[in-house]
Amino acid sequence: MFAYDINTNPMNTIEWAFPVAECVHIVGFALSLGTVAVVDLRLLGLGMRNQSAAQLVKDTTPWTLIGLAIMLISGPLIFSSNPVFYVSNSAFQIKMVCFLLAIVFNYTIHFKVAMSNASPVIGKLVGAISLALWVSVVAGGLFIAFV
Amino acid sequence: MPLASLFHAIQETEFATAIRESALVYPVIMTCHLTAIALFGGMILMTDLRLLGLAMQSRPVADVVGGFRAWKRAGFVIMVTCGILLAASKADSYYGNPYFQLKMTLLALVGVHALVFRRSVYGKAEEYDRTARIPPRAKVAACLSLLLWTGLVCAGRWIAYFEPDQKPGAKPAAGQVFLNRASRS
Repeated sequence: MFAYDINTNPMNTIEWAFPVAECVHIVGFALSLGTVAVVDLRLLGLGMRNQSAAQLVKDTTPWTLIGLAIMLISGPLIFSSNPVFYVSNSAFQIKMVCFLLAIVFNYTIHFKVAMSNASPVIGKLVGAISLALWVSVVAGGLFIAFV
Repeated sequence: MPLASLFHAIQETEFATAIRESALVYPVIMTCHLTAIALFGGMILMTDLRLLGLAMQSRPVADVVGGFRAWKRAGFVIMVTCGILLAASKADSYYGNPYFQLKMTLLALVGVHALVFRRSVYGKAEEYDRTARIPPRAKVAACLSLLLWTGLVCAGRWIAYFEPDQKPGAKPAAGQVFLNRASRS
């Protein structure tokens, strides 16, 4: 049987490991969300009019992925500090659902609409949904400590 | 100490007390603070990475710097407003918190950075595009900006982990502090 004692996890034994992972996580999602938001705000018609949404997607895609990679390394490390706590935490559960939706949405509908000359109405709708999903992920993550 | 009593007076105002005592308002403000960091901090990172020639190379520097400017400003205002509300609601404990002091120092340095580089680097984006060359001065500005902003994020996060009354050796691991705090609320 696989026995896991969180007290032996370096995330809990090294005093600074947890906050460092949190900082890395924040920088990671600043990178990924910041780049997705650039496309979203463009879709919403709120700026960067010199560039098309398609150009912005091409420019930001590698950095969105780098941000996601940073998030997906630091996030599970934070999770490993106390899996039982996180799994049973309602904010964490909501966060994971929103995160999955946001990822799927981002690489399917969001990508397709941004790369095509979709009508402004659809563009705005997709930009708004994308922003709402990602902000929900941030909110869900923060509320883990408060529910 | 007059400054300490000023911080105390701020915390004791009805407004700050209401934020502190609300189970919902405090985390919601914190969410706005963090969302602003995510959205607009990301744009600061992208601007700096563009100046370093690492990101968005197919876009002119002027488009990146100019295109993000209004959003970054709006984000900065949201970030600072929420930050002030958060700090005011717990002003007493923030007063003596070295990480809060560090964060404010870094924030002041961000101001100095803007004073030094705004005209001489960010105002010259079009020139960089014309000459197709980004001078070392701009790269220094970008590196300093990256350092300052990641430093700000880290100092901000560490505020929550400072416990003034803890005896040396009795300090629980940081992860445990987070969970204790989580389970208390």
